[in-house]
Amino acid sequence: MYAFHQKVWANLVFFFSLAIIEILLYLGMKNLVPFLMLFVLLSGCKTENESKKKTIVEAPKELEAEVHKTNVQFAEGFKVKQYEGYKKLTLKNLWPGSDKEFNFILVKDADNFKSKKKFDGIIEVPLKSIVVTSTTHIPSLEMLGVEDRLVGFPNLDYISSEKTIQRIDAGEIMELGKNEDLNTELLVELQPDLMVTFAIDSDNSSAERIQEIGIPVLYNGDWNETTPLGKAEWIKFFGVLMGKEKTADSIFNRIKIDYTNAKNVAGQSESKPTVLSGAMYRDLWHLPQGGSWAAQLIADANGEYLWNDTEGTGSSSLNVESVLEKGKNAQYWIGPGQFTSLDQMKEAHSAYEQFDAYQNNNVYSFTNKKGANGGVLYYELAPNRPDMVLKDIGKILHPELFPDHELYFFTKIE
Amino acid sequence: MHARKKHQTYLLILLAVLLMAAVLNLSMGSVHIPLKEVLNALIGKGASQETWDFIILQYRAPKMIVAILTGSGLAISGLLMQTLFRNPLAGPFVLGLSSGASLGVAFLILGAGAFGGFLGNTLMSQWSLVIASALGSFLVLLAVLAVTFKIKDTMAILIIGLMFGSVTAAVVAVLSYFTNAEKLQQYIFWSFGSLGNQSWNGALIMAICCILGIVMAFASGKSLNALLLGENYAKSMGVHIKRTTVLIILATSVLAGGITAFVGPIAFIGLAVPHITRQFFTTSNHFTLLPAVMLCGSILMLLCDTIAQLPFSEYTLPINAITSLIGAPVVIWLLVRKRKLLF
Repeated sequence: MYAFHQKVWANLVFFFSLAIIEILLYLGMKNLVPFLMLFVLLSGCKTENESKKKTIVEAPKELEAEVHKTNVQFAEGFKVKQYEGYKKLTLKNLWPGSDKEFNFILVKDADNFKSKKKFDGIIEVPLKSIVVTSTTHIPSLEMLGVEDRLVGFPNLDYISSEKTIQRIDAGEIMELGKNEDLNTELLVELQPDLMVTFAIDSDNSSAERIQEIGIPVLYNGDWNETTPLGKAEWIKFFGVLMGKEKTADSIFNRIKIDYTNAKNVAGQSESKPTVLSGAMYRDLWHLPQGGSWAAQLIADANGEYLWNDTEGTGSSSLNVESVLEKGKNAQYWIGPGQFTSLDQMKEAHSAYEQFDAYQNNNVYSFTNKKGANGGVLYYELAPNRPDMVLKDIGKILHPELFPDHELYFFTKIE
Repeated sequence: MHARKKHQTYLLILLAVLLMAAVLNLSMGSVHIPLKEVLNALIGKGASQETWDFIILQYRAPKMIVAILTGSGLAISGLLMQTLFRNPLAGPFVLGLSSGASLGVAFLILGAGAFGGFLGNTLMSQWSLVIASALGSFLVLLAVLAVTFKIKDTMAILIIGLMFGSVTAAVVAVLSYFTNAEKLQQYIFWSFGSLGNQSWNGALIMAICCILGIVMAFASGKSLNALLLGENYAKSMGVHIKRTTVLIILATSVLAGGITAFVGPIAFIGLAVPHITRQFFTTSNHFTLLPAVMLCGSILMLLCDTIAQLPFSEYTLPINAITSLIGAPVVIWLLVRKRKLLF
């Protein structure tokens, strides 16, 4: 913390003196400027030293890779193929409508790797340091027990996990600015072994620039997976990179078994409660489409999502009239946008009160569970733990079948 | 006398069309509700389904009122600005009112992250946006008025208004740069405009704003007629130029600022409707033009909203896109047909 404060002060002095120079120039007092220039330079140098000191990250000692063959079952965005002495990581379907395929060679010693084929990059694994850009990547690193290799992240405030927040507070993770506009200078100074980011479309100029600088970049397509287990399986992607393939496999298998069990338990119920989702912004109602991750979870929890028949895997913006007509009698309302209380909803729009689920107090939201810095826990952890989400929804829809489960992500809002 | 009678007939016809447009607007929407049920709900007998009652009385009816107020208010302020600046390109927002409103809203939505929890939590209330937007417009209005008292040339006010617009747009750009995608989306949704977000309370307050502005507009009708002949001529007719200018700016601000606060920046109506109206009413008498633009504006707005609701589908289009899509071809067609701009 001390070092951090010092850096802030040094920066403040630097900019303050720049401002004074400008004022002096403006006032015509040119003779004073050289002295101040010197001062500025000195304070600037100080900043640099300070930040260098801070970014030296203790490199873990020799990392032993687990010998294991990774087999991908549900995820459609990545494949791992084992060859003698190296692995090939194939990435595709990284953003909606993308047909591009990327091939990376994962090898222990890149200098000794020779091949006539063309690849998108060669990465030395296991990685000693990594930068990720989405909070959904944090739980993967933690579950694999390699969170100490995370050295940088954009927008640290979004992170909710307590373990990682502790490391942030200790100054071990560097703030890299905004995801859409990463602070390249800091990243260069940090020199991570790899940056894992995500792309929303084919325009990734920011990431390409970083690649040119010599920091390898991999795109993570977990968010573009359409099935709950497919999303969760991306832990294997980090497993391969971190030399933790075996751990990743066993964690995922546990999640898969738990998920399937929860699905079977929920399936025992004869009843299939109707479910409404989403909320309005202005007078447009945004709700998940039938093929989406959220819709599948409701279906697997033996609920009837009323917009099940809508095509697509994203979200729809619908007219409030039609939502009211279709959803008025829905028994449960799961995920009412950003709202955290019933009063808040009533105040935002009188239409909310019309729904049976609202009147019967059956509204469940995940926005009440927040990390210490205000990030919503669900956004970070839910894609990694579909088993827990499924049990939550199962508990909401069929409380009698999940007597021992306590809601983890969701809360009934009052 | 003959022309006056013709104009009266036109106004009556427009009134009838307005009524029809209103009924059409009420009966069309995503959910198909038979006309008989609509009428039952309106006269208090109750429709056969509870949700239909809510849709008609709490959603479509306030939306219809808001559409009428928006159409007439923006059309009047457009007419006032065109006359004041004697410029056919002027519209209700040339003074930078909508930019001011955007700034207020941008501070609320995009700044919420920067200012932390308090603002973020109040964001959900339907009034916070209205208040932020009204404050933004009001600040710009104060600035414009201050300039008006200082500057002799009316045209300079026009330029200064544009400058205010550029400055606020720049601040909004900076704010949007430092925000996250979700907030940005909220802001963009606001800028699309929406009529259907108001409860009866909202519609009532909006109506008070509009009536106030319309009264001021009619009160300056005589001076407006004189202004069309040039400032010097108006002066010779005994018009107090500065007082008139201030009154016109006030009326425009109350109308355009108030409307923007509730429905967002609605494009095009204010600019186009006066031109459309002048094609039918070949007069420059504001006592005829004012009611005429009110009626035309309301009708156009109701029709645009009906189309934007995409009857019988679950989806809705942004009203702002529709006003321009429908309005622009109408103006082009009228101008090409008459081959000259009546101004």
